[in-house]
Amino acid sequence: MSDAGLLNVVLYLPLAAIAGIIALPRKSDGLVRGLSLAAMLLQFVITGLLYLRFDAATPDLQFETRLPWIAAWGVYYQIGLDGYNILLVLLTAFLGPLVVAGAFKAIDREVKLFYAMVFALQFAMMGTFVAQDLFLFYLFWEAMLIPLFFIIGIWGGERRIYATLKFVLYTAFGSILMLAAMIYLVYSLHTTTGVTSFAFTDLYRAELPLPVQTILLAAFALSFAIKVPIVPLHTWLPDAHVEAPTAGSVILAGVLLKMGTYGFMKLAFPLFPDAARLYAPLFGTLAVISILYGACLALVQTDIKKIIAYSSISHLGYVMLGLVSLDILGIQGAIAQMVSHGLVAGGLFLMVGMIYERCHTRDLSAYSGIAKLLPVYAVFLTVLTLAAIGLPTTSGFTGEFLALLGAFRAAWPLHLEGSSYPLILSSSAVAGVVLGALYMLWFAQRFLFGPSKAPHMPLADLDLREKAILAAIVVTVFAFGLFPDEPLRKTELAAKQYQRLVGEDRSGGKMALHGADAPADVVETDAGATPRVARDTR
Amino acid sequence: MNGQTILVAMLPEHLLLAGIALLLCLAIAPGRPRGGFAISLGAVAAATVAAIWLASTGYSAEPFAGQYSVDPVASLGKAIVLALAALVLLIARSEAEERAFPILLLSSVYGVCLMLSSDTFLTLFLGLELMSLPVYVLVLLAYRRPESAEAALKYLVLGGTASATLLMGVSLLFGATGTLSLSVFAVALETPGTMPSIAVALILVAFFLKAAIVPFHAWAPDAYEAAAVPVTAYMATIVKAGVLLAAVRLFGIVPLTSPTVELVALLPLLSIVWGNLAAMRQPGLRRMIAYSSIAHAGYLFYALLGEGPTRFQAVAFYVLVYGLMNVLLFAALPPDADDRARDRLDHLKGLFRRDRFAALMIAVAMLSLAGIPPFPGFIAKFLIFRNVMAAGYTLYAVLGLVGSYLGIYFYLRVIQYLFMTAEERPTITRAPERLALGASLICLLASILLAVFPGWAIGSP
Repeated sequence: MSDAGLLNVVLYLPLAAIAGIIALPRKSDGLVRGLSLAAMLLQFVITGLLYLRFDAATPDLQFETRLPWIAAWGVYYQIGLDGYNILLVLLTAFLGPLVVAGAFKAIDREVKLFYAMVFALQFAMMGTFVAQDLFLFYLFWEAMLIPLFFIIGIWGGERRIYATLKFVLYTAFGSILMLAAMIYLVYSLHTTTGVTSFAFTDLYRAELPLPVQTILLAAFALSFAIKVPIVPLHTWLPDAHVEAPTAGSVILAGVLLKMGTYGFMKLAFPLFPDAARLYAPLFGTLAVISILYGACLALVQTDIKKIIAYSSISHLGYVMLGLVSLDILGIQGAIAQMVSHGLVAGGLFLMVGMIYERCHTRDLSAYSGIAKLLPVYAVFLTVLTLAAIGLPTTSGFTGEFLALLGAFRAAWPLHLEGSSYPLILSSSAVAGVVLGALYMLWFAQRFLFGPSKAPHMPLADLDLREKAILAAIVVTVFAFGLFPDEPLRKTELAAKQYQRLVGEDRSGGKMALHGADAPADVVETDAGATPRVARDTR
Repeated sequence: MNGQTILVAMLPEHLLLAGIALLLCLAIAPGRPRGGFAISLGAVAAATVAAIWLASTGYSAEPFAGQYSVDPVASLGKAIVLALAALVLLIARSEAEERAFPILLLSSVYGVCLMLSSDTFLTLFLGLELMSLPVYVLVLLAYRRPESAEAALKYLVLGGTASATLLMGVSLLFGATGTLSLSVFAVALETPGTMPSIAVALILVAFFLKAAIVPFHAWAPDAYEAAAVPVTAYMATIVKAGVLLAAVRLFGIVPLTSPTVELVALLPLLSIVWGNLAAMRQPGLRRMIAYSSIAHAGYLFYALLGEGPTRFQAVAFYVLVYGLMNVLLFAALPPDADDRARDRLDHLKGLFRRDRFAALMIAVAMLSLAGIPPFPGFIAKFLIFRNVMAAGYTLYAVLGLVGSYLGIYFYLRVIQYLFMTAEERPTITRAPERLALGASLICLLASILLAVFPGWAIGSP
C-alpha cells in the first residue's frame, strides 16, 4: 500500500474499531477491551512506520491525499503529514494504547460505549492534526467535543454533568466565533484573489488589512486560547480534569490541550502575521501569566488531580512563549514542550488514576509515605515528577530549556535597542521554573515520604499491566530527553516555515512596525512587497 | 394548455388526489375497512417518485399559464416535501387508520405542492390555505385532551390573521399594479416608496406568522404540544418547509434593499435568540422542539439574505436536513401508552439503559439540530451563513452564529438525560413499532449520506 494510503489507514482505523466493537455481542467486555487494545497498537505501529519514513529534508506535505469533497465551496479532503504535525500525530498514536490499557479496570460499566467513544475521540484528534484544509480541520476540531462530552458525562466523578457541560459550552463558544472568522477569511480570499479555497497553503496567501487581521486573529485566538488554555480562559480545565475518568484526563492533557497550541502555530499566527506580530507582546504576557498563575494555583491545591491540571496550564505557557518568540530555538522548544507535556502529564494522570482505583480518593492529605507502601509506584512517580520539573536528561528539560532560550534570544537584541519588556517577560518565565520545582517536589514529598498513611491498607503495588504502561512512558521520556535531536530535526523545516510565515508582511506594507513589539531581525529578512515564492507545495 | 401537459406536469398532485379520492371512498364505505395507511403511504410515495422524476428530467411546463407552472426547482421542492411527508406517515401508522387523518394530511400536502408551483397570489393563497386548514383539524384530532381544543383555536385564529394580513398586502399590490402575478412582489421589493414597502411588510409578516417567527410565534408551542406526535412532526417539517420554499419562490432572485433587509434579518435573529433561550426552560420535549423550530425558522429566513440564486439551494438543503432530523427524533421516541406522558423530558432519563438504539438516534438528531459537526445540520447551517456573509451581511451572520451557539445547551441537556441521568422510576416501554424503526433508519442513512457526501447534494457552484 502506498504511504498516503497508510496515513488514511491510521485515520480511519478507529472507525473500523468502532464498527468492530458494535458488532461484538453485548456481554463481552473482555473481547471489547482486547479488540480496542489491538486496534490502538496497530494504529501506533503504522504511525511509527510513517514516522520512520518521514523525510526531514523537505518542507513539503508528505503522505498526502487530496480529493475534491465539496466542489462548490472549494473544499478538499486533504490530509498529510508535515513537520508541524508529525510529532503530535505520533504522540496521539502513542497515548492511544496506554489510554485503552489504563482503563481496563477503571471502566466497568457501558464498556462498549466507552471504547467506542475513545475511538471516536481518537479519530477526531488524528483528523484535526492531519487535516490540511480549514473546513476539514474545523469539522474534526468540533467533532472532538462530542465523544469527550460523553466520556466525562457518563464515566466522570460526582459533578461530571456540570464539568462536561461547562467544557463543551466553553469550547463551543470559541469555535463559533472561529467559524465566523473562517467564513470571512475564505470569502475575502475569494474577493481579493478569485480563488475559493480552504486549503491552508492558499489561505496563507490572503492579504488583509491590519484591522481585519486583528479581528480575525482575535476570533481564532479565542478558540485556541480556550483549548490551550491560556489564563484567564482556563476555568473549565480544572473541572473537566477532576471530574473526567482517568482516560479522559490523559487524552485531555496529553493531546487535546496541544490542539490549541497547534492551532496557534499552524493557523492563527501564520494566517494573520501582521496582527500576530503586533500583539505578540500581549500573547507573551498572557503566556507568562499562565506559567506563573498556573504554578501558584498548583501550589495550593489539595486534590492531586488539580495539582497536575494546574501544572498543565503552567507548562503550556512555555509553549506559547516559545511560539511568540519567533526564534527558531524557541519554536522548536515549543514543539518539544508539547510532546513532553503530553507524555509527562499523561503519565502523571495515569498514575493518579492508579492510586485512585486503589483508595478512591484524590485528597492529598489522605496520603503520606507512599514510597514505603508502593515502592515501584513511587519510583515511576519520582521519575515523572522530575520530568515535569524539567530535569536534564528528561523530555521536560528539552522543551522548557529551548523555549526559554528562544525567548531570551529574541528579547536580548530588543533590550539592546532600548525596549526591555520582552526581557522582563522572559526573566519572569524563569521564575516559573522555580515555582514548578517547588509545587512538584512539595507534592512528591508530602505524597511519597513521611509516616505511611493511605485510606485503604494494605495496598497492592503495580501489576504487570500498569508497570508496562508506565515503563513505556518513562522510556520515551528519557529517550526524548537524551536524544531530542532526531525527532526535532523532522520538525525543523516546519519551525522555519512558521518563522517565515509569521514574519511576512501581508497587510499591504502599510503597517508601521513597532521595533519594540516584533522581533526585528525576522521581520526584516522576509518583509517586503514581493509575495512569498515557491512555498506552494503543489 | 392541453391535457397531456396537465397530466404530466401535475403528476405528483394527481397521485395525491387519487389517494385522497380512494381514502374518501374508504371513509364512507360501510363497516370500517382498514387500508387507510397503505393507501396514503402509497399515494405519497408515488407522488415523491413522480416529483423526483420531474425534477431529474428537468421538466418544465405551464399547464395553466400565468397561474401554475412546473420547473425543476419547484419539482425538487415538492420531492423534498413529499419524501418528508412519506417519512412522517411511517410514524403515523395507527393514526392513519382513522378516517379523517390520512385525508387531511394528504390534502395539506397537496396544498404545499400547489404553493410551490404557484405563479399568482391567487394560487399561492389557495395552496397556503389548503395546507393550513387541515392542520388546524389535525391538531384538534387529539381532542382527548382539553388543551388540544384551546391550542387548535389559537392556531386557527393566528393562522386566520396570517391569511388576512397576506390578503391585505396582496390587495395593496393589486391596487398599485392591477395584477396578481407573483412577479409583482419582486418588483415591489426593488421599488422604493411607502406603498410597496407596506405591501411587502404585510406579506412577509404573514409568512412569519405561518413559520412561527418571533413575535408571531405564540401559537407554535401550544399547537406542537397539543397535537399527536405525528402531527407535531408534520408541523415541524412539512409546514415549515412548505412556507419557506414558497417564500423563496416569492422572493425570487431579487436582491434585497434597505427596509426589507432589516425586516428579514432582525426578526429572524430575534427568533434565533429567543427560540434558543426559551427552549432551555421547557419541561416538555415537544414544547422544546417548538421553540427549537422557532429558532430554525430564523435560520431559514436568514437564507433569504443570501444572493438570489443561492437562496433556494440553502433553504432546500436546510429543510431537508432539518426535516430528516425531526422525523428521526419523533420516530425514535419510545412509544408510551399515554400520549401525554410522552411529552415529559423527564421520561427520557436513562433511556440509554432501556433502549440503546432509540437513545443513540435521539442523540444524533439533537447533535445535528444543534449544528455540531460532523452531523449534516452543521453543513446546512454553514451553507446559510456562508451565503449571508458572501452577500455582505457580516454582522448579521456573526450575530446569527452567536445566537445558534445559545441553542447548544438545551440539545445537550436532552443527551444528558438520555445517557447521564438515572431514571426516576422504571417505566415500561412497548417495543418500538417496526415502521417507526424503518423511518428512523432511513433518516439516519440519509443524514449519513448528506454528511459524508454533501458535495453531491450541493452540486457545482
